[in-house]
Amino acid sequence: MTSIETGHDHLQPQSKPSRTTINRRFKRSTLLMPLAVAAIWCSALMLTPYDPNATNFLLRLSPPSSEHWFGTDQLGRDVATRVLYGGLWSIGLALVITSVGAVIGTIIGLTAGHFGRAADVVLMRVSDSFFAFPELIAAVTIAGLLGPSTSNMVFALIAVSWMKYARLVRSLSVSISNKDYVLQARLNGLPPALILSRHILPNVLPNLLVLWTNGWSRSILSISGLSFLGFGVQPPNAEWGAMLLDGKTYMQTAPHLMIFPGLAILFAVLAINLTGDRLRDRLDGR
Amino acid sequence: MKLRQQRNAPMLYAVGSRLLALLSVLFGVSLISFAMIHLSPGDKAQAIAKARYPESQTFPTDILNAIRVEFHLNDPFLVQYFHWLKNFLQGDFGRSFSSGATVWEIFVGNIGETAILTVSALLFGLVLAFLLATVSVWRPGSFIDRFAVALASIGAAMPSYWLGLLLIMFFAAHLNWLPAYGTGSLSHLILPTLTLGLWVTASQTRLLRAFFLEAKSAPFVETLRLRGVSETEIFWRHILRHSAIPALNMIALDVASLLEGAVIVEIIFARGGVGSLLAGSVLSRDYPVILFLVVFFALTYVAINSLVELLQDLLDPRKGWSSSITCTSVNTEQTS
Amino acid sequence: MLNIQRLGLSINGQTLLDDVSFTVEPGETLCIVGESGSGKTSLLKSIQGLMPAYFEGISFQGDRQAEIRQKGQWRGPIGMPGSRWVMQDPIAALNPKIPLGQSISESLYRRSMPKMDVDAAVRQALLDVELNPDVATRLPSEVSMGQAQRACLARALIANPSLILFDEPLSALDAVVQKQIAATMKRIQLKYEIMYLIVTHDLGFASAYADQVMVLKNGKVEANQTAADFFHDPASPYCRDLVLAARALGSLSGPAIPSSYERGADV
Repeated sequence: MTSIETGHDHLQPQSKPSRTTINRRFKRSTLLMPLAVAAIWCSALMLTPYDPNATNFLLRLSPPSSEHWFGTDQLGRDVATRVLYGGLWSIGLALVITSVGAVIGTIIGLTAGHFGRAADVVLMRVSDSFFAFPELIAAVTIAGLLGPSTSNMVFALIAVSWMKYARLVRSLSVSISNKDYVLQARLNGLPPALILSRHILPNVLPNLLVLWTNGWSRSILSISGLSFLGFGVQPPNAEWGAMLLDGKTYMQTAPHLMIFPGLAILFAVLAINLTGDRLRDRLDGR
Repeated sequence: MKLRQQRNAPMLYAVGSRLLALLSVLFGVSLISFAMIHLSPGDKAQAIAKARYPESQTFPTDILNAIRVEFHLNDPFLVQYFHWLKNFLQGDFGRSFSSGATVWEIFVGNIGETAILTVSALLFGLVLAFLLATVSVWRPGSFIDRFAVALASIGAAMPSYWLGLLLIMFFAAHLNWLPAYGTGSLSHLILPTLTLGLWVTASQTRLLRAFFLEAKSAPFVETLRLRGVSETEIFWRHILRHSAIPALNMIALDVASLLEGAVIVEIIFARGGVGSLLAGSVLSRDYPVILFLVVFFALTYVAINSLVELLQDLLDPRKGWSSSITCTSVNTEQTS
Repeated sequence: MLNIQRLGLSINGQTLLDDVSFTVEPGETLCIVGESGSGKTSLLKSIQGLMPAYFEGISFQGDRQAEIRQKGQWRGPIGMPGSRWVMQDPIAALNPKIPLGQSISESLYRRSMPKMDVDAAVRQALLDVELNPDVATRLPSEVSMGQAQRACLARALIANPSLILFDEPLSALDAVVQKQIAATMKRIQLKYEIMYLIVTHDLGFASAYADQVMVLKNGKVEANQTAADFFHDPASPYCRDLVLAARALGSLSGPAIPSSYERGADV
């Protein structure tokens, strides 16, 4: 093999490894912002001197001050601390709901796409039927009928959120399984499970991630919406929607009770949406 | 003749398979709805008795048993389901447990409010979205464009119930300009319309902007530009027409979620309408009303979706049903 | 040796291939030529067991063990043992998410070799296709089109096949890279005595590298001649038209001297 160093174009390692570096840098900056927010949030949780549920009747409905940055509520609880803890409910529960929904949807989508025509028809018709129910209306009904509680709300929101993942995974994985590289893997005798995990899933994952981010922010809105309507997280738990419901009564005397939890929802959803947009741009840019 | 057959056979097949899919989805929707009610915990006979005799708290077993017989509550699930389905298909939707009126009467009494709110919010939101998208594509990347995009992003992240509360706080409680709660005069409609309409604006501005931009950079527009057609004329005569169909698709799909938003808005503003009706019925366990409303929302979604698909097929030149209008196909699966 | 007797294929009552028979000797190249829709790719897929083709007989390497099926329809597992397939578009044929080295090593999956041996084999295969072994860690998006096609060639080669099927292996590449890779293919063939079955549009390429040319038309064998015969004395008017057209377009010049490739050069 004397021709290795003959200077042909195809022998040289590509002279610009820049593309990988750019990709990695991009990856880092896309992840950096959410990580920074999470870090600040955690340290704030640890640093706050107040208990989210400790009442103080001497300081009811006091406006924002240097002691209580976001003021106190009708029971004298520190609103800033409650907003911080509220994130655990809203963002954390939304994360759980979206992830469980995505896993269920992925399993159903893969089953529909790769385990025969009968499974495909049945599962897709089932998911189409579920899809017909508007998310929030179905969640209100399920959560309402089961009785208002956090776990019932979580169940209701999972029940109405898995279909979009199933649809995406099915259509994407079917189109990927027709690609030449999957055919090569089949010709090379790779078992279906390995083809699925090595060739199909990794190529579905980026799109799934974008949809998952999107679903995450929507779940935050749904959770706080349901809690606001009284079907979700129940007082005295500090969930943003539940806090808004509490604060609604004192709209005129203590507007800060409504402003800060609302802003928290807005920022959380906005941050996740923007991260999702960036992920999508990155995917489209390829 | 032979050519014609070849063209029609796949079309018939497509229509047939789509109809079959539609029917199975309708069946699935009815089954899921009924199962949801059927499986919900709590004694239905107790709920009926409570609604019938509001003054008493406990009921003798013979009354409960009589109710169970009357409402076929002892039958197996599938028997109950087909019994309900048969009545439903014949237009008999049952009676409300709490008021005794037929579900249809109650529904008709409430749907008007919801329809007015939905339509006015849709109009307001679309006009605003159209304005924003138009000024923003005029100079992509300009300050005004960024402002419109930022506004749309914030609007999409804004919980509609919070926006509603803020509007109430400002316009009703603080300025005292508008009534906060209730139904009735036109002024009652303004705040709910704003709340729901801004949500429409947020979701449609970005889509409209994307469609306009796509049309703006299409090759045929370049050709027009080279021919010396003015930008204004290009926009009003060509870009709008080119974006109309994908935009209509997205708007139609949005109507389904708009109904969903209307539910929340009605509850916040304590308005009449099917949204508050649903919330009230869920709380009072008025099963016939809940069942009907859930099916109604799902059917509306299915109907709108099928119409959009039909429209897409009719207008898609590749299928050869109509050839005069070009249409950018929109991937509804990923955006919905 | 690969011998195919009376291969036929029909799908939904439509005959795609009819009565196709041919023989390839070890170390020889058979170029399959024909217009699109003539059944070239279907033939490759049938040989790999991806289509419900029926045979009078297939024998491969003269080895009874490897004799796939004497008669009737193929029902066995897909993929003909001892053969590999290089596809037209290298980007589509490589998983964008895994490094080239892993894609290449998958070709050895059935052998269940220890990882060290696999790595050594990947290295050797990359050297054989004249790639720097470092590209094993690269993703397909990080190499050029030509490098990607070389990686596909390495994936075929690593399994020590006695037959490689090529489906228009050069048509996705630009002219200079085409020539370089064609030369590499020839070198590999000489070194390992591999049979090549190459589907191509490019008669210039065929005239430079084919030992045998088979012309397919509407799923039937229009001609099956040695390359020398085909270019000097085409068996049918259709074949003559093909050769004349190629000459007029400039990919062939003179009776048998190709312009874009030189026979035997660069080896």
